[in-house]
Amino acid sequence: MIITVASGKGGTGKTTIATNLAWTLAQKRESEQESPIWLIDCDVEAPNAALFIHPIFEIEKKVERQLPIIQQDLCTGCGVCVDVCEYNALAIARGKTLFFKDLCHACGSCVLNCPENAIQESPEMIGLLQQGNRGALKFAQGILEIGFSSPTPIIRDLKKWIIPDKPQHESTYILDASPGTACPVVESLRDADFALLVTEPTPFGLHDLKLVAELIFKEFQIPSGIVINKSGRGDEIIEQFASEMKIPILMRVPLSRDIAEAYARGDLLVDAFPQYWDQFIDLYKKISEITGERQPKQ
Amino acid sequence: MNIAITLSDNKGLDSTLSSVFARCPFYMLIDPETKIFTIEENPAQNASGGAGIKAAQWMIDKEVSGVISGSVGPKAHDVLSSAKIPAFKSKGESIEETLKAYLGKELESFFEPNVDAHSGIQE
Repeated sequence: MIITVASGKGGTGKTTIATNLAWTLAQKRESEQESPIWLIDCDVEAPNAALFIHPIFEIEKKVERQLPIIQQDLCTGCGVCVDVCEYNALAIARGKTLFFKDLCHACGSCVLNCPENAIQESPEMIGLLQQGNRGALKFAQGILEIGFSSPTPIIRDLKKWIIPDKPQHESTYILDASPGTACPVVESLRDADFALLVTEPTPFGLHDLKLVAELIFKEFQIPSGIVINKSGRGDEIIEQFASEMKIPILMRVPLSRDIAEAYARGDLLVDAFPQYWDQFIDLYKKISEITGERQPKQ
Repeated sequence: MNIAITLSDNKGLDSTLSSVFARCPFYMLIDPETKIFTIEENPAQNASGGAGIKAAQWMIDKEVSGVISGSVGPKAHDVLSSAKIPAFKSKGESIEETLKAYLGKELESFFEPNVDAHSGIQE
């Protein structure tokens, strides 16, 4: 099962929920000798789950893209590459081809279509993938190289690296998505069986929850559930939306200074406050019931 | 040879000068001497990215000898300067005023002019 944790708004607690859920399940499954849990940090622009998990990384893999290299001596300035470039990354001025790297999506159209075969490709590193573990929890993350603006290819490669084409029924992958509802979030939700929507009971939290719920409704048609973080004041606005959209509220974490302090120290919630342990086990149980997967043993 | 003037609407010689280069809706292609002109839609206006490059390429394909605009972004600047098409900052409120200033060589250039650029003005 693939569970993607998304929120729309940033700072609602996606990583808190994803790390604690993954850690709790990993411990439980280890004690029951079941298949391991993977936590995959898909927020490749600012991966921070490792700050709470403290994994030991064992394997690394570079993510590269193929950039066009124009051989000016072979180029006739015909302009075919300019016409086929969807991203306006090329121009022809006075018979010379100009290439704007920042706009290039490395789609390869110019290379394929150049009638003179004057465009070669050259790899450029755009990110790094890492995998390792902390105890029973398997962990992976992607890191977008500084100076690059396209996180989506990193997320795509990260998922391909960790999740097999046909994941085993009993394997569980928890994906921590980035904020927003744009391409990186869409990529993180692709192939997911369940979307766990973490929100806060504020107008901003609700506004962006609506956006991500709409994205899931329109593009994925997968079941979802809500976690209200920093709960306690204003929950009604989320409750009303959840009831209108028929999305169940699966868990609440109160607004509390103690929790914020533990978070700021880099502690997992379940380590600092063991009473949350059962709540995360229960959260997974509810998700399993909704998706129709087998339930964890009692 | 025609020069291009960036426009924010399409009202012939009464059109409004645009303060932007790549995202303006219309371009006037006009012979500054004879005042014979056409107005064309800017194909780059709604480009998701690289509008400056696309608009500058359009200028190259239209073989304009100069561009008059309220501003020119860095990528458009790169392409225009590679093509040795000079770009000038528009002046005054009307096409007539800015053309007059252009012919009088009173328009401020957006980048360091080179010889070719000067020869373009003299054409």
